[in-house]
Amino acid sequence: MMAALVRYRTALLLRSQRWLAPVILYAVFLAVGVQGGQPVLDSLAYAAAALLPVTAWLVRICVTVEPAGARGCTAAAAGPRRAHLAGLLTAFLAAGALGAAATVAVAVISDAASTDHQTAVARGPAAVAGLLAMLVSALVGTAVGALTSRPVLRSTAHAVPALLLAALLALVTTGSPAKAALTDLTRGSRDGVVPLPVGAPAAALAVAVAAVAAACWVSARRA
Amino acid sequence: MARTGRAGRTGRTGPADGDLAIRLDGAGRRYGLRRPWVLREVTLGVRAATLTRVEGANGTGKSTLLRLLARIDAPSEGRVTGRPRTAYVPERFPPSLPFTAVGYLTHMGRVHGLTGAAAARRAHAWLERLGAAGHAHTPLPDLSKGTSQKVAVAQALLADPELLVLDEAWTGLDAAARDILDRAVAERVAAGSAVAFVDHDPHRLAGYADVTYAISGTRVTRRTGEADAAPRATGRTVVVEVRGPHGAELPPGLPGTAGPGPEPDTHRLVVADLHSDLVLRELLTASPPWHVMSVRPGEAGDR
Repeated sequence: MMAALVRYRTALLLRSQRWLAPVILYAVFLAVGVQGGQPVLDSLAYAAAALLPVTAWLVRICVTVEPAGARGCTAAAAGPRRAHLAGLLTAFLAAGALGAAATVAVAVISDAASTDHQTAVARGPAAVAGLLAMLVSALVGTAVGALTSRPVLRSTAHAVPALLLAALLALVTTGSPAKAALTDLTRGSRDGVVPLPVGAPAAALAVAVAAVAAACWVSARRA
Repeated sequence: MARTGRAGRTGRTGPADGDLAIRLDGAGRRYGLRRPWVLREVTLGVRAATLTRVEGANGTGKSTLLRLLARIDAPSEGRVTGRPRTAYVPERFPPSLPFTAVGYLTHMGRVHGLTGAAAARRAHAWLERLGAAGHAHTPLPDLSKGTSQKVAVAQALLADPELLVLDEAWTGLDAAARDILDRAVAERVAAGSAVAFVDHDPHRLAGYADVTYAISGTRVTRRTGEADAAPRATGRTVVVEVRGPHGAELPPGLPGTAGPGPEPDTHRLVVADLHSDLVLRELLTASPPWHVMSVRPGEAGDR
């Protein structure tokens, strides 16, 4: 049933064309900030940082794109929590695909070297480190999106500023897994060592699971 | 006319009387901690193979009760138990989904647990039955209000739900489709499902509801056997006389009342007009099939 729900939500996301705005914004962001020949780990950190608000935006789209009447039909068939979980999962998977594509592109065009271009940095391991950072951003972005859109925050006037503020704080606050993952990458770039952290992805996973569980719990209580 | 409640069904192997599809215990609902209660202390059970009607003035919480029964919303207090496979038809079905009619129905069929092929097949079959086959490949936003309501109805019926919840599902349908929905409801009940509905038309399925609940204030009270037992213009019955294979019993679970016919091995069934197609189909497709001797409209004395 979960597969059918995710398939339905993915079709809804793609056919609604509301994914275009965040994806184009992300592409523009990368085009402005990433150029060929820059240090690979620095560019990956930049791309991973940008993915976080984009993921939160995708979550917002995924949980608002289904009209209320149709949402009732899906909730009756699958249960409101599972239906909501499918929306969040769809956004996370879309963000993951976007992050993976960005990682490949950045790893290919960047200079496989440290920030001062003195030490070589292997492209393959750098891409793996980039994927890990993307994963952390997608997880934290999903958590931010889940907690700042319906059913947790129902008014757009509250939800959109809350989403932007939470996404920004997640990137700059010490202790945030997203900030830790980005710091690992930039420090690795400076030292010419590819970081493969375990702590940040584990913490990001815990944050995402808790936020998603809370949002799904609320989804049956606040229509 | 013969009331076609549980007592009237001929089956011995049908769903047990105690078969609760879903149950509310002291359930209440409010839309926010500082908002007023819409419903409080609702304790009721919806049994399998029954039709439940919910009545009440506008804004009294009929939709809220149906959403609790469909488990779309969790109660703010109290408990809800039972997890039947549920389908729901909302009061207003949005046309703004980016799918064709069949595309949406196929997705919903999969969510209901069907394979993609079965879902698409049933989607076409239900659109055809509801008279919307010509719109199968029309994008939902281009459909008229009535046709998009047919899609909402098809969505709920295509996966044979154990609990069917209809919130003014007839509104916006043309007369033929309303009739089809009446029959589909009768079929679901005969097949052992629970059906709960709200409709602004007091004559909607009047006489067929096994239980009627009325909402006043925040309370839900049971009022069975008044309005729903009253005879009304649409409550026609049909008398069917059939001859079966020697010594054969009638198939279990048929709606209506059965008695011995004029000759040996014949039976006389009095069924609601609404159920007559279903009964005839059931008997004619039995193996070996039953021979239908006569079908005539029922009169006042037919029980």
